[in-house]
Amino acid sequence: MKSQTAEKKYLPEMPQKEIDEANASVKSTSEKIMVDNIERMKKTDPNRPAAMKYFDDISNFFGQRKEEIEAEKAKGRKVIGYFCIFAPIELILAADAIPVRVNSGWYDTSKFGDRVVPVEVCPVIRSTIGAKMIGLSPYLELSDAVISTLTCDGMTKLSEILSDATQIWTMTPPRVKDSAQSLHLWKEEIKSIKTQIEKLTGNKITAKKLKAAIETMQKATKAFRRLQELRKGNPVIMGRDAMLVNQMSLWDDITRWIQKTEALCDELEKRAAQKAWACPPDTPRVIVTGTPMFWPDNWKLPSLVEEATPQGVLVGDELCSGDRILYDPVGIDEWTMDDMINGIAERYLMASTCPCFTSQDGNEDRINWLITKVKENNANGVIYYVVRGCMLYAMEYARVKRALDKLSIPVYYLDTEYTREDVGQMKTRVEAFLEMLSARVDF
Amino acid sequence: MVTTAGIDMGIQTVKIVILKDGEVVARAKAFSGFEPTKAAEQAYAEALSAAKISSEEVSNVSATGSGMDMAPYASGTVSMMGADAKAGVFLFPSARTVIDVGAEEARAVKCDERGIMMDFVVNERCAAGAGAFIEAMARALEVKMEDMGPLSLKAKRASPINATCVIFGESDVVSLIHRQESKPEIARAVFDAMADRISSMVHRLGINPDVVLVGGVAKDVGFIESLKRKLGLTILVPEHPEYAGALGASLTAASRVKGDHK
Repeated sequence: MKSQTAEKKYLPEMPQKEIDEANASVKSTSEKIMVDNIERMKKTDPNRPAAMKYFDDISNFFGQRKEEIEAEKAKGRKVIGYFCIFAPIELILAADAIPVRVNSGWYDTSKFGDRVVPVEVCPVIRSTIGAKMIGLSPYLELSDAVISTLTCDGMTKLSEILSDATQIWTMTPPRVKDSAQSLHLWKEEIKSIKTQIEKLTGNKITAKKLKAAIETMQKATKAFRRLQELRKGNPVIMGRDAMLVNQMSLWDDITRWIQKTEALCDELEKRAAQKAWACPPDTPRVIVTGTPMFWPDNWKLPSLVEEATPQGVLVGDELCSGDRILYDPVGIDEWTMDDMINGIAERYLMASTCPCFTSQDGNEDRINWLITKVKENNANGVIYYVVRGCMLYAMEYARVKRALDKLSIPVYYLDTEYTREDVGQMKTRVEAFLEMLSARVDF
Repeated sequence: MVTTAGIDMGIQTVKIVILKDGEVVARAKAFSGFEPTKAAEQAYAEALSAAKISSEEVSNVSATGSGMDMAPYASGTVSMMGADAKAGVFLFPSARTVIDVGAEEARAVKCDERGIMMDFVVNERCAAGAGAFIEAMARALEVKMEDMGPLSLKAKRASPINATCVIFGESDVVSLIHRQESKPEIARAVFDAMADRISSMVHRLGINPDVVLVGGVAKDVGFIESLKRKLGLTILVPEHPEYAGALGASLTAASRVKGDHK
């Protein structure tokens, strides 16, 4: 563990009084936003699936789930946070620790991050730094260690900055996937994380425990895919609701999440049989790609799309905060330790469509995946969402646009910030895009 | 006989266009001010009287512009980009790209032969590519805004300034004044900087000729010249470019009456 007296390299000292006041104020705003977001989701789909109630409750950052984790922690279980979805969840579960994703979706904490890094830096990073400074994120505060994958420049420096206050374990992904050295390097990273998890928890990750964890996550993938599958036809669920379910898999007890998601899917199948659609079937269908968007504050774009005139529906996304989270299962030939580690390494590296990768073909995987998604989910258009400062996604746009143009798939580049002030301007753009999609569908 | 009206609730001015069987029969405008709805009511009354018709004769009123939700009389709205596409192709049937530069925003729209928008791009949230930039620079140069264009045409050469921000642009202009650059050269620098930004934006969208320029800034000869130079293309400019949004809304209203537009 990090010594408490170690000299801080980045984080400024803040008087406890200021921290407490800031925490209370941002927390109270956030509680209002969570309630408001859910009310708006209910309003958009007056026949919202009853099974959503569970996910609404779990989504409260300061509620039931936080208390559960606190209780588990009191019993001696460890909590392992992570930023990017490269963190091998199976290893965390196999050591009987609790995995939680800890990227910040709070707008109001970014102003504290601004005291450490310039405003040009990606707001997800600034906001996460700020959340740590005022101790806002219960899951980040409860984490005994945080796995930080050095994907983009922001994540790389974030790890260094947060080391001032939290135990950070870095993982270095290769920038090119398809070479022998890459997979080798990544496998070593996975092994080293395994050792660290074992050391922290005091639990040895045996082949038996790892097999059980892999099987649990395979079930999670199955439930996850079932939900995504249901979004391919006429809308049985609004995009925001599906996004909430997807994100809750990052924080919830995964076994319970699987049950609840399967129950939701049962309900959705009944809805489809009764042709009880969540919105009119001719509603323009949109797919979002780009910077991840996190509950609760950064629900701005999905809300705009689904509350717009003309209305749109999000039928899928290519986001690491969405349809990418659990889509890919770990593939295993033989249940030996070595094979399982191989399977985990391959799943987290090869299946990723993060723009941190490049190759001679460019980031071909992401483009292929996006196009498949557009076709399979019958999307009418794509919104390319970028927060300012998110270089990799911003830079890859030109290429993605060209690929989509070739297939006559409309795409719109929408850039924004961690702020509520630009909602009006965003609305103008989103509505024009949806109007264009309806006009193109009509003719 | 179909008579329709379009209301463009712009940030600085409200514009009205009345169409009768595909012909523009009246135009009117008013400063938006603090009460844009009232301004629109006044302009609308003015347009009706110019067209010598009563409000009952208007079958449909549609609104556009950033304040479209505040438009009086309107039964529907159309996005500013959708309105640009419709108006561009109505004015010039060969138009496939419409650039609209208004007081606070610049945008470019690609459209098909029916005037349906196919793609669009909007400037970054910054007024440096829009009319407000010319206004601020005219103030720094102590010349009237409408004199900026003719003044710039007298420039013998170009001197670059920064157009990433109105505030920094203004300080650039002040330093050019201190370097004793002539006013025509500085005026041209202002238009070149704007045209630079707008042409990068249009290039990101891709240019399909013919290109039409509309919006209040399309009345400025200085800007038209700079944009032509930057794009290296002929640019078609209608007689009343500032009414393009209202015209597009009125055309949308007409297709709503015919029932081929939601």
